[in-house]
Amino acid sequence: MAEAASRPEGSRGLFWTTLVIVYAAIMLFPIFWMASMMVKPNDAMFARPTQWLFVPTLDHFSYVIEQGFHWSLLTSFLLCTVSTALVVIIGTPAAYAFARFEMKGKDDLFLFILGSRMAPPVCLVIPFYLIYAKVGLLDSFLGLTLAYMTFNLSFYVWVLRSFCRDLPVELEEAAALEGWSKVQIFRRVVFPLLRNGIVATSVLCFIFAWNEFLFAFMLGGKSVTTLPVSIPKLITSQGVRWGEMAVVGMTALIPVLAVVFVLQRHIVRGLTLGAVKG
Amino acid sequence: MASASETMTAAAPQGAGMRERAWYPYLLIAPSMITLVVVSLAPFIYAIYLSFHEAKFGRVRDFVGFDNYMTLLTDERFWNSIGVATTFVFIAVPIEFMLGLIGALVLNQNVRGRSILIPLLFMPTMMAPIVVGLLWKIMLAGSWGFFSYNVLERFNILGETSIFASPDLALYALIFVDIWQWTPFMMLAFFAGLQALPLGPYRAAAVDGANPVQMFFHITLPMMTPLLAVIGLLRFIDAFKVFDTIYILTNGGPGITTETPSILANKMTFEFWNIGEASALAVLVWIAFFAFCSIFYQVAKKRLNAF
Amino acid sequence: MRKIWCFAAALAATTALTVPMVVSSAQPAMAQDAGFYAKAGAPYKGTTIRVLDEITPLQETLSKIVPDFEKETGIKVEWELLNHFEVINKGQADMLSGRGHYDAIMLHGAQLGPMLSADVIMPLDKFVADPKLSDPGLNAADFIQAPYKTTAFSAGKQYGFINWNYNHVYWARADLLNNPEEKAAFKAKYGYELAPAKTIEQMRDIAEFFTRKKGEKLAGVPLTSDFYGIVLEGIKGGSTFSNLWVNFIENYGGDLLDKDGKPAFDSPQTVAALKMWRELWTFAPPGIAEYSLVDVPTVMGNGIAAQSLAWSDFVLGIDKPGVSPYAGKFVYAPIPAKAGNEAHRHADAEPSVTVISAASKNPEATFLFLQWLADKRQQDKLIEIGQGGVPIRESSWAAPAIKDSTNPTLFAAMKSSLDVATARPKMEKYPEIIDAMSGIAQEVGLGKMTPEQGAKQGQAALEKLCGGKSCTL
Repeated sequence: MAEAASRPEGSRGLFWTTLVIVYAAIMLFPIFWMASMMVKPNDAMFARPTQWLFVPTLDHFSYVIEQGFHWSLLTSFLLCTVSTALVVIIGTPAAYAFARFEMKGKDDLFLFILGSRMAPPVCLVIPFYLIYAKVGLLDSFLGLTLAYMTFNLSFYVWVLRSFCRDLPVELEEAAALEGWSKVQIFRRVVFPLLRNGIVATSVLCFIFAWNEFLFAFMLGGKSVTTLPVSIPKLITSQGVRWGEMAVVGMTALIPVLAVVFVLQRHIVRGLTLGAVKG
Repeated sequence: MASASETMTAAAPQGAGMRERAWYPYLLIAPSMITLVVVSLAPFIYAIYLSFHEAKFGRVRDFVGFDNYMTLLTDERFWNSIGVATTFVFIAVPIEFMLGLIGALVLNQNVRGRSILIPLLFMPTMMAPIVVGLLWKIMLAGSWGFFSYNVLERFNILGETSIFASPDLALYALIFVDIWQWTPFMMLAFFAGLQALPLGPYRAAAVDGANPVQMFFHITLPMMTPLLAVIGLLRFIDAFKVFDTIYILTNGGPGITTETPSILANKMTFEFWNIGEASALAVLVWIAFFAFCSIFYQVAKKRLNAF
Repeated sequence: MRKIWCFAAALAATTALTVPMVVSSAQPAMAQDAGFYAKAGAPYKGTTIRVLDEITPLQETLSKIVPDFEKETGIKVEWELLNHFEVINKGQADMLSGRGHYDAIMLHGAQLGPMLSADVIMPLDKFVADPKLSDPGLNAADFIQAPYKTTAFSAGKQYGFINWNYNHVYWARADLLNNPEEKAAFKAKYGYELAPAKTIEQMRDIAEFFTRKKGEKLAGVPLTSDFYGIVLEGIKGGSTFSNLWVNFIENYGGDLLDKDGKPAFDSPQTVAALKMWRELWTFAPPGIAEYSLVDVPTVMGNGIAAQSLAWSDFVLGIDKPGVSPYAGKFVYAPIPAKAGNEAHRHADAEPSVTVISAASKNPEATFLFLQWLADKRQQDKLIEIGQGGVPIRESSWAAPAIKDSTNPTLFAAMKSSLDVATARPKMEKYPEIIDAMSGIAQEVGLGKMTPEQGAKQGQAALEKLCGGKSCTL
């Protein structure tokens, strides 16, 4: 479309590029400001008049490490990776089935999947807590992994399903005529075609899990503390430890930013959600 | 026999080589369904059970029928929260939608350095909502916030009030924060959609002498509709449930002007421990959503060929 | 192998012998105490107890002392610190669900009402009566009595000792109050000396006096931004209402409830206090209605306001070099009284206790730990390591870190507050009441409701919530 609608003129490209950069600069300023707070001394934090220049300090970093936030980082990483991987393993066949085959009550089953995402999590967290307390899943890795699936599995199946629907069925038919088994067809034909969609959707799932607070807080605990859960500990009666908060907030951003940066090609292709009709 | 012929018809569009046994698709969806029933339906059924009981302090006492529902439905505060969330969603989501679309169209011009710009632009969506809340507190907090101090106070824009202390402004500030956070998501999704559009129709239109505006309304928009519908619906559901940022920034105040159902439910749960009533709220919100989504789904499926 | 065992045994024996000796040589009077916990804890050796407390600088200091308990008794303490709201959510969910993951949980005085009515707190009376568990050297008479008696006991039963005596103090900018120019101008205008406010009326005058616009001079220097006479907590929820209730309404002679626990909010005293409340809000920063108890110290610490009523433990965190540019330029004083009613002064406080969950599987070991925490040795250490803190024992006022503090006015103010501090009445619906009443406090403060209307609506809200009965347990 780009090529068709607008000719690649240097000056126009420059104009749009500048526009995007200016927009980004304005929108990202708050994040930049928070990033500067990572190395800002406490007494300059909200000084009047606002201090743009200051002698940087590493105090906030050392407090964060002292408090063992890096362990939360590791926990978050493991938890989100495992739960996202499970979502991919369980959800991909389902998305494929919903797109490919007729089933009795398919629409209802499909809406049920979305329905599991509709109730406000705040209301479900106590039922969750009470059930988990009974079966001993509180403060366990497994418990949180399962809880994360409630919101991610439904999202994943929904989004990937529309992606699956647009796969050309002819390839699968050809493979079937060649005598390939269903598993072979799935692994060697469907899966490679779905790769972008899977990457894009699972990155979003990863981000949702990575940033989730309420479940991680109530169902987690001392042995499973994720990064977002470690942040409120910085809101103490001394006031908020803003510098430390900035350190943790920005650190939390880095892995996700890295993932998006590396995989953006897949994400941009995959994020169409397969929903564009060509 | 009937079932066999049904399977036949069902499989027919898939072509001869793809004839399946009836159980095969069910096998594929089984793991997902079982997981969702266990981890998602079970707590929800428990919530339904709680909603019919007096459960102050989470202790299930007497069966009270629809009492919790009646209390809720006659409570002005509940309706206020629905109103707040409705305002929130119906302002925030369309604006995110429009800005996202415009942004995607701009990005789709010959913008250079997209591989760096896209991850950067996507940053607000990547941040934990709790951090987003704190970030905007740093910016907008009365008197000591960066923006409040350097802009609002310096030019005396608000006079004797501040953003989050003003019943008239607080909700709009929260809407702004939501827009800031989620527009990049929309933008990226729409941009991806634009990138995937086939070139054929544009070439044909160009031959016919169509201008870019006509092309947008007659080619781009119709082709993008399914994508817009899916993204819009998901965002709509999530925006209605928004919790973390509001909790950090206003916790429903001033008064109850920014109290969404999630914030109200949080109070009912963790302050008042009226678990029965909070569960009833969950069920009501769920029913309303489910009805809305079913209708949207059916309509969108028929009219827009979405989903 | 055997050699190692012998060595270990010898080492253990030596340690066991030397530790009490070292202690006894340092503090002869306390030797008995140390011995008591070793002996009383012996049957529970190897037990692990889990204790949940909230994170403030006080608890961070206490964290350094907690491991000593295991050394003395062999009882392991898993000591978990969470943010204020998290302790409430998680601690209470744990107690209410009967899970019993935490053996002990810190509760603010206000939360005792709901948790007692849910019957999830274990009374301590049988442990206190047990000579094997009850420390004869505890000396409960040394606890600061008003907060201890009103917090730890309910309906004749004991539920805790006393752990944290959070309290409000008056907080002002000394550099401004002592500025000669300002002093002269103030005297000319109000006819008395500018000094930390002793009465609510003086606090009002000072607030009015120091509320200045950008460009006007403050202590001789032109202001680059507006400056305010006072900052108070004004958010809905939090401790906004308790500040209004105790520091204003009670000082004016009114109250929330009468002697029988029935709502008594709609009184002339309440109306008068609400009038003052409203007036003070006009001298406060525009953001007052959004300020939580965390924002108030931020505003003071960044030099935006001249005075405040604030939680003294917050002050400890702000008035430190490197934290606030105004560190060392503050002065503290007792909560101002109502002029003419000084004899019946009140000061807001939130004494807090760590209670044993009714679902605890190790109540005896937990009881020993709580008792040990309240013991004078630990309290002395806490004050010493924390270079101050908020005492729970009368004798702590004489501790060197407090007596010779570089911040003497703060501790004098704190002592004055704690002398009259009491826990909140134990009410089942405390959270609902606070939610409703803080909304009214906000509306009156913002001028959206008259003080008279506020008193009436508050009374109506209380009556509705308590259902015509007593609001207290």
